[in-house]
Amino acid sequence: MLRLLIEKELRETIGTTKFAVTFAVCALLILLAFYVGARNYQVSQSEYEAAKAENLKQMEGLTDWNQVDHRIFLPPQPLATLVSGISNDIGRTVEVRTRGELRPQDSRFNADPIYAVFRFLDLEFIFSIVLSLFAILFAYDAVNGEKERGTLRLAFANAVPRDTYIMGKLIGAFLALSVPLLIPILLGCLLLPLLGVPMAGGDWVRLGMLILSGYLYLGVFLTLSVFVSALTEHSSSSFLLMLVIWIFAVLIIPRTAVLVAGRAVDVPSIDQISYEKNRYNAQLWAEDREKMNTYWRENPPSQDAPREEVMLKFRSFMTELSDAREANARELAGRLNEDRLNREQVQQRIALSIARLSPASVFSLASSDLAGTSLDLKQRYLEAANAYQQMYEAFIREKTGSSGGFMIMIGGQSEKEPDPIDPMELPAFEYKQPETASFVEKSMLDLGLLLVFNLVFFAGAFITFLRYDVR
Amino acid sequence: MFKILVEKELKAILLSPKFVATFGVCALLILLSVFVGIQEYNAAQEQYETAQQLLNQEVSEATSWWGINNKAYRAPDPMQIFVSGINNDVGRLSNISTWTEVKLEESTYANDTLFAVFRFIDFAFIVQVVLSLFAILFTYDAINGERESGTLKLALSNAVPRGKFMLAKFTGAWLGLTIPLLIPILLAALIVMLLRVPMDALAWAKLGTLFGASVLYFTFFIALGLLVSALTKRSSVSFLILLVAWVVLVLIVPRAATMAAGQLLQVPGVAEIESQKDRFSTDRWDAYRKERTQMWETRTAQMAGMTETERDNFRGQNEARWQQEETDSRQVVQEDIAEQARKLNEDLRNQKAEQERLAFLLSRFSPTSSYQLTAMNLGGTNTALKTRYEDAMRSYRTTFAQFVESKRQEEMEKNRRSQGQRGVMIMGGGDETLDVSELPRFQAPSHTYAEAVAPSVVDFGLLSLFSLLAFGGAFMAFLRYDVR
Repeated sequence: MLRLLIEKELRETIGTTKFAVTFAVCALLILLAFYVGARNYQVSQSEYEAAKAENLKQMEGLTDWNQVDHRIFLPPQPLATLVSGISNDIGRTVEVRTRGELRPQDSRFNADPIYAVFRFLDLEFIFSIVLSLFAILFAYDAVNGEKERGTLRLAFANAVPRDTYIMGKLIGAFLALSVPLLIPILLGCLLLPLLGVPMAGGDWVRLGMLILSGYLYLGVFLTLSVFVSALTEHSSSSFLLMLVIWIFAVLIIPRTAVLVAGRAVDVPSIDQISYEKNRYNAQLWAEDREKMNTYWRENPPSQDAPREEVMLKFRSFMTELSDAREANARELAGRLNEDRLNREQVQQRIALSIARLSPASVFSLASSDLAGTSLDLKQRYLEAANAYQQMYEAFIREKTGSSGGFMIMIGGQSEKEPDPIDPMELPAFEYKQPETASFVEKSMLDLGLLLVFNLVFFAGAFITFLRYDVR
Repeated sequence: MFKILVEKELKAILLSPKFVATFGVCALLILLSVFVGIQEYNAAQEQYETAQQLLNQEVSEATSWWGINNKAYRAPDPMQIFVSGINNDVGRLSNISTWTEVKLEESTYANDTLFAVFRFIDFAFIVQVVLSLFAILFTYDAINGERESGTLKLALSNAVPRGKFMLAKFTGAWLGLTIPLLIPILLAALIVMLLRVPMDALAWAKLGTLFGASVLYFTFFIALGLLVSALTKRSSVSFLILLVAWVVLVLIVPRAATMAAGQLLQVPGVAEIESQKDRFSTDRWDAYRKERTQMWETRTAQMAGMTETERDNFRGQNEARWQQEETDSRQVVQEDIAEQARKLNEDLRNQKAEQERLAFLLSRFSPTSSYQLTAMNLGGTNTALKTRYEDAMRSYRTTFAQFVESKRQEEMEKNRRSQGQRGVMIMGGGDETLDVSELPRFQAPSHTYAEAVAPSVVDFGLLSLFSLLAFGGAFMAFLRYDVR
C-alpha cells in the first residue's frame, strides 16, 4: 500500500509543468554553481601562484636577508568555492617579519569590492535560498490541496490507513525532489576534477556530507510544509504562512541573532587593542633608549678600537635588548589577543545558538564547517602563520646572526660585493587543513539538529494528519 | 468608471487576509532593519570616535617625529543605516606614514568575522528581496485569476474599454500596495529623527531619492506581475513563471554577471602588485644605502690626514650641508617609490574599473542590479567608496609628510646640537612629548548629492524603462486577451 501511495505521489509531482520548470531551473543553478566554483578556484589558484612567485622573484639579487619582504598567502581551498563561508572576508596575505605580531590583510572583498556588491553564487546559497523555496512550492498544498480538489475524501473512501497515507506523501514528496536533483549534483561533482580542482579523498567525503546536509535541509522544509498544510484549511493560507516562515528562517533569524549577540557581548575593538600595544611598545622603546644611552656612556667608543669590533659588540647588545623587548611585547599582545578571542568566542556561541533556531542557519553552519570555511578558518590560518613565523625567525637568525628588527649600518671599507641570497632557501609556508575527521566532527551537531528538525516536523505532520478533517 | 474600477481593485487588495499578513511582515521588517541599522551606526560612530581619541592620545605621547604613528579613519555615514553596501567589507583605516603607502585595511567583517557569517540586513535588501516577492504575490493572478473566477467576463460585459480596465488594475494595485508601505517608511524616517541620527539636509535628500528609487523598483515588479498574468491562462502557471523570474532576476543575474566579468577580464591580484612595489622599494633603498656609504667613505678619506681639531672644524662647517644632502636624497627615493606605486596603483585601478564596468553592464539586465547600484550610489557605499577615501587619504598623507619632514629637520638640528660629536646617533626621540597641535588632521571626503545621483541616472532610466516595458507589454497582451 505504501508503495502504491509513494508511486502516486511521485507520478503526481514529476508529471507536472511545475516540476519540469523548477527542476530545469535548479539543475541549471546547481551546475552553474559547480562550474563557477571550479572556475573561481582556478582564478584564485593562479592568483595565489602568481603572488607567491612574485614574492620570491622580488628577492632575487638581494644580498642581505634583512632586506627581504616576505609574504605568505592563504591558498584557495577546493571546497571553499562551493561554500564560500567567511573565506572572502578574512585577510589572506600575511607579511612575515621575524618580530612583532602578524596581521592577515587583504581580504578578497576588501581587495576586490566588486565581488562584495552582489556576493558570490555558491552551492550553499542555492540550497539555502532557492531549493528551500522550491521545496515549499511543492509541498505547501500536500494535504489541504487534495482536500480542496476533493481527492483526499476519495482516497480515504478506500481502505487506506491515515498513517500509511501521510508516510507515503512525505516519502513520495521527498523522493520526487531529491532523486532528480542528484543528476545535476553528480554531474557537478564530475565537473570538479575535469576543471582541474584537486579533490583528495577526504574532500570527497566532506563534499558527500555537504550534499547530505543539503538534503536534510531540504527535508526540513518539505516536512514543515506538509505539517503546515495539514494544520490549515486552505492551500492559499498555508502558502502564505510558509512564505512568512521562509522569510524569517532564511533572512531574518540568522542576521538578527548575530546582531543581538553583538550587542549583548562587548568585544574590545581592534583599535583599542592596537592602541594599548603601541603604547606599551613605545614605553619599552623609551626604556631601551635610556639603556642604549647608558651603554654608550659606559663604553665610550675609543678612537683606536677597530670600528667593526665596536659595532659588533653594540649589535649583540642591541639584539639582547630587542629580544627582551620582543618577549615583553609578545606577552602583552598575547594576553590582549587572548582576552579578545575569548570574548569573541562567547559572542559567537551566543549568536550561533540563537541563529540555530532557524534551519537555514543550521545548514549554513554545517556546510561551512564541512567546507572548512567556518569562523574557525581565521584562527587556524593565523596559528599556521604564527608557527611559520618561528620557523622564519630561526631561519633568519641562522642566516644573519641576528633576528633583525633593527638595522645597523656597519660602515668602513666594504670589502667585496656580498653574494646574493637564494630565495629558494626560505622555508616554504604550507597551510595544512585539519583532518577530515575533525571537520566531520564539528558538523555533527548541526547535522544532528537538522535531523531533529526533520523528525519534529515529520511527527507534527503525522499527528496533525491523524486528526485531520478530510471533508 | 475608472474610479470604480480602481476602488474595486483597492478593496480587493486591502481587504484580503493575504494583505494583512504581508503588510505586517513588511512593516516589521522595514522598521526592524532601520532600527538595527541605527544601532549599528551608533556603534560604528562610537568605535570611530574612540579610535580617533586613542589616535590623538598616541600621537600626543610620541617623543620623536621619527617614530610618530598616524592613522586616518573612515567616518561612518548615516546613510549606511539604509544601504550598508560594501561599507563593512572595505577597510576602516589606513596607516599614514612617510614610509608606507595608503591602504585601507581592517574591515569590519575581517575584524569581527561573526558579522560576516550571515551578513547585514538593511532597507535596500528588504526592498530588493522581500518587497519584490510580495509585489509578485499580489499581482500574479491579477488578470488570469479574474478569468478563473469568472469575474473578468462579468466586468467586461459592461461598457468598459479594455485599456481603461487594465489601467485601473495597475493603478489600483499600485496604490493598494505602495501607499500602505509608505506608513512603515515614514515611521522609519520618524525613528531616525527621534533617535537623533545626525542626518543633514544632504542625507535627507539622498534618503528621499532612495525611497523614490525603491518605489520605482517596486513598480516594476507590479507591472511584471500584471504582464505575466495577462500572458497566461492559469494563475498557477503565472505564479510559477513569476517565481522563476524572481529567482533569476533577484538572485542569479547580478551574481552571475559579476562572476562572468571577473572571469572575462582578469585583474592581477593585490598580493602580486604589492610584491612588485616591494621589489622596487627594496632596490631603491639598497641603492640609496650604497650611495650613502660611498659618501661616508669619501668624507672619511677627506678627513684622513687631519688632526682632531681640524676634523671637528671640518665637520662643523659641513654638517648642515651633509644633512641637507642626506634629506634631499632620501626624499628623492621616497618620491620615486611613491611615483612607482602610484603608477602601479593607477594601472590596477584602471583594470578594475574596466572589469567593474563590464560586470555592471551585464548585471543591469536585471532591474535588481540597477536598484542595488542606485541604492549604493545614494548611500555612498558603492565601490567608489574605497577609491574616494584612498584618494583623500593619499592627499592627506602628502600634507602630513611635508609637515613631519619639516619637523624632523628641526628635531635633527636640535639633536645635533645637544648630542654633539658623540658619533652615534640614536633616532627615536627624546624624553619630551611632541607638540602636535599643528599636526594636520584628516578630513573625510565629502559625497555630494550630485556625486550620488550622477552615476545612478542610467539606473533610474533603466528602472523606468523596464517598468514601462512591462506595463506596455501587459497592456498589449490584455488587449488581445481571451477573457472566456
